[in-house]
Amino acid sequence: MSRIEDIGIFNAMREEGLAKVLPAMPRIAVGMGTCGRGNGAEGVYQALSHAIDRDGLDIRLAAVGCFGACSEEPLVSVWLPGQPLVILRRVQASDVERILNDLSRGRITPDLAWCKIEEWDHITAHLRYGQGFPELPLWSELPFFSGQKKIVLRNCGLIAPDDIDEYIAVGGYQALYKVLIDGKPESVIEQIKASKLRGRGGAGYATGIKWEFLAKAKDDRKYIICNADEGDPGAYMNRNEIESDPHGLLEGMIIGGYVTGASQGIVYVRAEYPLAVHHLARAIDQAREYGILGANILGRPFHFDIEMVEGAGAFVCGEETALIASLEGFSGRPRPRPPYPAQKGLQGKPTNINNVETWYNIAPIVLKGPAWFTEIGSTKSAGTKVFSLVGKVQNTGLVEMPLGTPLTKFVYDIGGGAAAGRTVKAVQTGGPSGGCIPHEMFDTAVDYETLAQLGSIMGSGGMVVMDEDNCMVDIARYFIEFTHSESCGKCVPCRVGLDQALEILNGFTKGTGTAAQLTLLNELGRMIRDTSLCGLGQTAPNPVLTTMRHFRHEFDDHIIAKRCRAGVCHSLALSPCENSCPLHMNIPRFLDLLKEGRADDAFEAVFLDNPLPASTGRVCQHPCDDRCRRQTVDSPVNMREVHRFIADAVLLTDRFEPLAARIAARKKAPTGKSVAVVGAGPAGLTAAFYLALVGHDVTVFENKAEAGGMLRYAIPEYRLPKRVLAQEVELIRRLGVKFQFGAGVGSAITLNELDEGFDAVFLAIGTWKESWVNLPGTELKGVLPALPFLESVATGTNPALGRKMTVIGGGNAAVDSARTAVRMGVDATIVYRRERKDMPAIKEEVDAAEQEGVKFLFLAAPHRIVGDARGNVRALEIAKTRLGQYDSSGRRKPVVTAEIVRLDCDAVVLAVGETVDLDFARASGLTLREAGTFVVDRFTLETSRPNFFAGGDAISGASNVSNAMGFGKKAARKIDERLMGAKRFAGLAGGFQYSMEPPETTSTSPRHRSAELKPAVRVAGEDEVMVGLTDAEAGDESCRCLRCDIRG
Amino acid sequence: MNHPEPSLRNPSARTGETAAAGNPPDAAKYAFINEVIARVDGRPGALLGILEAVQERNPRKYLCADELSYIAAKTNIPLSQIFSVVTFYALFNREPQGDHTICICRGTACHTRGSRTLLESLRLELGMEEAPGQAGADKLTLTTPDGKFTIRTVACFGQCALAPVVELDHRICGHMNERALAREVDALGQERHE
Repeated sequence: MSRIEDIGIFNAMREEGLAKVLPAMPRIAVGMGTCGRGNGAEGVYQALSHAIDRDGLDIRLAAVGCFGACSEEPLVSVWLPGQPLVILRRVQASDVERILNDLSRGRITPDLAWCKIEEWDHITAHLRYGQGFPELPLWSELPFFSGQKKIVLRNCGLIAPDDIDEYIAVGGYQALYKVLIDGKPESVIEQIKASKLRGRGGAGYATGIKWEFLAKAKDDRKYIICNADEGDPGAYMNRNEIESDPHGLLEGMIIGGYVTGASQGIVYVRAEYPLAVHHLARAIDQAREYGILGANILGRPFHFDIEMVEGAGAFVCGEETALIASLEGFSGRPRPRPPYPAQKGLQGKPTNINNVETWYNIAPIVLKGPAWFTEIGSTKSAGTKVFSLVGKVQNTGLVEMPLGTPLTKFVYDIGGGAAAGRTVKAVQTGGPSGGCIPHEMFDTAVDYETLAQLGSIMGSGGMVVMDEDNCMVDIARYFIEFTHSESCGKCVPCRVGLDQALEILNGFTKGTGTAAQLTLLNELGRMIRDTSLCGLGQTAPNPVLTTMRHFRHEFDDHIIAKRCRAGVCHSLALSPCENSCPLHMNIPRFLDLLKEGRADDAFEAVFLDNPLPASTGRVCQHPCDDRCRRQTVDSPVNMREVHRFIADAVLLTDRFEPLAARIAARKKAPTGKSVAVVGAGPAGLTAAFYLALVGHDVTVFENKAEAGGMLRYAIPEYRLPKRVLAQEVELIRRLGVKFQFGAGVGSAITLNELDEGFDAVFLAIGTWKESWVNLPGTELKGVLPALPFLESVATGTNPALGRKMTVIGGGNAAVDSARTAVRMGVDATIVYRRERKDMPAIKEEVDAAEQEGVKFLFLAAPHRIVGDARGNVRALEIAKTRLGQYDSSGRRKPVVTAEIVRLDCDAVVLAVGETVDLDFARASGLTLREAGTFVVDRFTLETSRPNFFAGGDAISGASNVSNAMGFGKKAARKIDERLMGAKRFAGLAGGFQYSMEPPETTSTSPRHRSAELKPAVRVAGEDEVMVGLTDAEAGDESCRCLRCDIRG
Repeated sequence: MNHPEPSLRNPSARTGETAAAGNPPDAAKYAFINEVIARVDGRPGALLGILEAVQERNPRKYLCADELSYIAAKTNIPLSQIFSVVTFYALFNREPQGDHTICICRGTACHTRGSRTLLESLRLELGMEEAPGQAGADKLTLTTPDGKFTIRTVACFGQCALAPVVELDHRICGHMNERALAREVDALGQERHE
């Protein structure tokens, strides 16, 4: 090792370095950044090292930094001379022997190979690895890397960070050499100005202008500082940059020192990043050894040195004046500006502070010129930015994208969207100083100006994706708690204001908040923003102000309804399952009662929470499963089938009479008030039950011949036997509910008559009109809408279907139609325009349909229905679709292609969604939404007409049974409050004594699931498919509950 | 505030030296402090460096009163300023730390993936009450009365892709859940502390 004094030595060093990066033997490099290590990279490295030593292999083993794809760690890159560099992913120590074995035969282990790199643009140099392995995709072809432009991360994961030779090999320190030889500092500053490079730490101030201030300041001593006190929770790009390529930072700083006339550089780095500290310290030592730091750098008359200081954990030190105070030995409290650091900074000397990433851009700009840089990114924001894409996306990691890239690209194309079954709700950018951007605004370009317009900031580049399990009120509270505890306490607005804001937000999450406090919080936030001393206080309210702006409804839920839909705010829920249940059933209670062997009590408790427990026990979409904490142990408790078991044990046995009497005995004294319920579907029945229970005189008007709505007329017998539903309706009738069948409101009786005859009216008319698709051929004989088809089967008249039927749609009605047809001996095919995973139907039902022989054709949109001369259906022509851009639901939009396929069939069932009966809705005179649903107050369910309430599908659009029942229950409560002027529902379902001790042990059994009939038996008749849990299974299932309702 | 150490007042130059002379095991400690001060004195960030090194050398990973007084005397930095710095930064401890430190990341990514539940369940598991005024606070340091475990939180480890992250005696563990954490803590409890 010798000092680099001239270009000859420099070039010789470069050759030496190249012999390490592209040696004459195979090279294996293990990604050993902190995330790699956290996933087991050290074990992989040791195993490789051991095996190579043991067998005396001619392989060069290197420890490199991180390539950015954190979710695929540990990454190992393998290079055979003349071949592309191949990246292996999720490598474990146990894979090492295989990898080496394959390598010895010139092969790459196929199941680990992820992608290849044929050539790499280090910006400062261009490396050609070689060509080959046609079966492997290029790195840039993988979704995670698509569109990425690595400038800052140019060397990360490819060179050894602890070896200066490798940095020099890929063009490192060339820019410094050029600057020193040219000897024109002013022209470098001009270049940086022309490049429009802006500070990457958050504020986005023009770097060149900042440098010019420092260059013009006259003093014997000037400082430049790298702010590596990356404290933004959710951002870790600076850690990775320093860990993986420390010399890139040093080079930027040395150039900065030279052109601004500074003699001392300081890197202020977080002590929580031990590996970054270690690599940086080593890089500084190496640079000094090579004559790149210290006196007479690269043999030129320029002296500059860099020291490293470890920050001690204070977020506010990211603020430049606080950082300076910290370096001076004080607590990190900001100072007012002016004077700016460029005039009076560290120890009173002119000082310039830039973020880590800003420094990494310097060498590339110097070598490639400002025009090259401004071509990348958007007009006002040139270049790239590294983002840490984390949270609720499938692919997490560090992503370097040109500025101006829309958010959809990050969340869906690169991140792969939310996990299965979840939808992305928002992205939080800029950490505690930034804001939350709702998914409707994901076409937003990510650059300084656009984010600011939405009330957020780019900040250091944190991008935390949130899904529906995240509560935005809680997120706002979380950030305020953070800035509250990190506030230095110097200025009043920040110290006291954030304390008050936190108190208000705590109240919201505990259900004690008021609407007035919401207004106050908004004012307070604006005040803190406008009057705080430093950036911390000025931006601290952003998370609150943006969530209040974009997620106001969640605040309203917490304040008015005292509910947290995401189930995060524990004080607002009994347990996660109760919170997720549209009926808010006390699930732990019935599980415990059954566990204690009190079957009758369990039934009573269940029925008082949910008056259709046997039906919902069969057809509910069971959102409780997704929330159950037992999932973290094995799989969720099968709550739905347990309450079906409890209900069946009474409704279908001789326990019916005594239990019906017990429930009827709970009926409150008559109130003398009367309520009309329009529609005897799940919403109407539920409302009628509760209204009767509290003593009102209830009449249900139903235009069909029996009660049950969709349960009776749309859901087939094999899923829900009619006799089960009939027993539930009978029990409701025992409470005194009167039914008038065949009494269509609007025809037999008018709304005005109801208004006159009753104290309140509840409209639960459902969505009974099948949407019609705009399709040639729908007039043909054999084209049937799904609901009338299912209804005719349910009422015993089977329509003629021929031999083959196709069903258009992907919801439960489509699956029910196909399965019904199969039972009639008809060959059924479901045609759906998206993919299987996108089907709205319950997954178990789709699986069951497949077992029964239903065929599926995905990515297929109906094109036209073909008929014969007599007007009968002969075929359905479908157009193949491909998946295009992501829509606001987070699913990719199907795009119709020119490829047409003909499916011969005798009948076509349209199951593309149901809507409200528009004729009735329009005639009602009530205010409607565009889709024809009633406009109601979200919290009281009141319509535009006094005393008229509405709920169920008629206000939400076609949904499901449990959601409809949830509306029915809520409507009953609100109607009662309105009629009686008091809240009488509390304790309505109470009076049960049961264990509130945390269970000593829980059942270790896996989830019990009902046995089901064999597919061959099923299709031969209408027998119920799901047999139901046995006594022992239900009992044991109830013992699996962890009792989240018991709190210490 | 609750300090087990003697009062911090009286930052005279003699305090530290008397202690050094009078207590032989401490002699090595003061020699170490002298050496650290000589190495960094006058450089930017010197005080942080001194305090970090002294705390790291302390077997209980904290800064006790006599150490602070001694540093004040040696560096001519007012003890009030040193105390201000020590109490300002999260890294410095004024209380002895447990044999094992469990550090729960409260960064945004970890928060969205349930790190608060981890924190709560761990506190329950180790039977630690919330200190008054700390109710619901995210930033905390708690040590069990037997000195075995310290629970602390960190603003962010920068390991967001592994969220939720817990650091157990400086070993990063990603994708944690309540059950795995309880198991890890049990395993730590079995280890003998040397």
